[in-house]
Amino acid sequence: MNTMTILVADDDPVIRNLFERRLKNAGYEVTVAVDGTEAARLLDATIFDVVITDLVMPGQIGGIELLKIAKEKSVDIDVIVITAHSSVDTAVDAMKKGAVDYLEKPINFDELFLRLDKIAEVKAMLKNAGDLREAMNVTELSASQTIQDLEIVNGNQRNLLDRLDAILSDPRAAEHKRIEQALRLLATR
Amino acid sequence: MLKILSEEIKLVTKYIYDISGIYLDESKKYLLETRLNAIADEHGCVSYQDLYKKSKADATKAIERKIIDAISTNETLFFRDTGPFQLLQHKIFPELIDARASKASALKTNLKVWSAASSTGQELYSVAILLQELLGDLSKYSIKLLGTDISDAAIAQASSGKFNKFEIERGLSRDKLTKYFTPSGQTWKINDLTRSMVKFQKFNLMQPFTGLGKFDVVLCRNVAIYFTLEDRKKLFNKIADILEPDGYLLIGSTESLTGICPRFIPKRHLRSIFYQLH
Ligand SMILES: C[S@@+](CC[C@H](N)C(=O)[O-])C[C@H]1O[C@@H](n2cnc3c(N)ncnc32)[C@H](O)[C@@H]1O
Repeated sequence: MNTMTILVADDDPVIRNLFERRLKNAGYEVTVAVDGTEAARLLDATIFDVVITDLVMPGQIGGIELLKIAKEKSVDIDVIVITAHSSVDTAVDAMKKGAVDYLEKPINFDELFLRLDKIAEVKAMLKNAGDLREAMNVTELSASQTIQDLEIVNGNQRNLLDRLDAILSDPRAAEHKRIEQALRLLATR
Repeated sequence: MLKILSEEIKLVTKYIYDISGIYLDESKKYLLETRLNAIADEHGCVSYQDLYKKSKADATKAIERKIIDAISTNETLFFRDTGPFQLLQHKIFPELIDARASKASALKTNLKVWSAASSTGQELYSVAILLQELLGDLSKYSIKLLGTDISDAAIAQASSGKFNKFEIERGLSRDKLTKYFTPSGQTWKINDLTRSMVKFQKFNLMQPFTGLGKFDVVLCRNVAIYFTLEDRKKLFNKIADILEPDGYLLIGSTESLTGICPRFIPKRHLRSIFYQLH
């Protein structure tokens, strides 16, 4: 049930193809971009659940800039940055700026799949929580309406019983008159 | 996030009503924005009116399906409210089995249950689990458990029988969890026997109920609360038509049929209410 859509931005064609193949095989919907500029354009046109981006890419838009663009587009997009083994500091910096995670090169795909599983899980729970909140609102409203409606019905019934009681126990009228009047009241109800 | 304009709210809520019967008023602006924003984005819409037009023009109905998935509230849990399930276990199923079994002792006893807005399946799986606990050996019974919902995504999850940690922790005891589910990665999967007892399919409750057949028990819980009074009346009338004469209807614990369908009379057992036909 891997239904997440993933955008991969990396200028290295070998790594790009590797990502595309491995992620597709695992059932994800994958789109690849050759650099930050193309990735930014794709982000503008469609929505992705996850963006995986190399931190260092040629051109105007590097990994950090792409991270910023994705987060501005929607906070729901999760960004994973890829970093060279020696530059963990920049990865930590990216996480401070909103990346969910970082991967070191060479990519360990088993590790990546585990992290994607976690991301999918968090997304599912956020959806659960949103639905829970909305259901609580609607259910609470329905409960208060139900109670109010029943109160009104109950009040009307009590009122009717009181009137029947008054008619039936009226000492001034003959018994058959009282019954007739009571039946008439019930019929017009 | 794409903002919805006040003149678009009417258009979009009317559209949602037309395709699903779900009635949203002006106060649900936030809901429209938070739930439709991603779809609008995905289809490159510049406004919600644009989304509306694209969805109407889409012959594949893919956008319409996404809108329904997004707008429907699929909140549910296993054994929700407890009471109705105790009622099923201690009164409804035993009585039905007595009534059905006496008719033809050589044949299998038939039981037909419909979860009319089954969402992600917890309600119907709870019934399937309960029947196994109650009956033990199922070979003497012919059990038909049907779950329907308007949301494709909900039906897909129900059919997969997979639930996440959050879903599994709500309403299921430890021993039921270990007895009826197996862990698979981050999720838990219902066992094959329980899965084979149930069937899920897409169905819009606003449609006529033709071809569904008759049912001994109908669970129509926490869905009519999203409909107008008029539509609730029609819905419960249609349910009355497809319920066996001695069948049972269960509704949500915050709901009432007073003033909605006089064909049903409320009855009380073990602190829970159920409905039967006059
Ligand atoms: C809050 S859930 C209720 C689930 C379950 N019956 C329970 O009580 O826990 C409401 C469900 O009703 C479904 N629904 C809304 N409108 C519907 C319609 N017109 N036809 C069928 N299902 C509908 C939604 O997709 C959602 O899954």
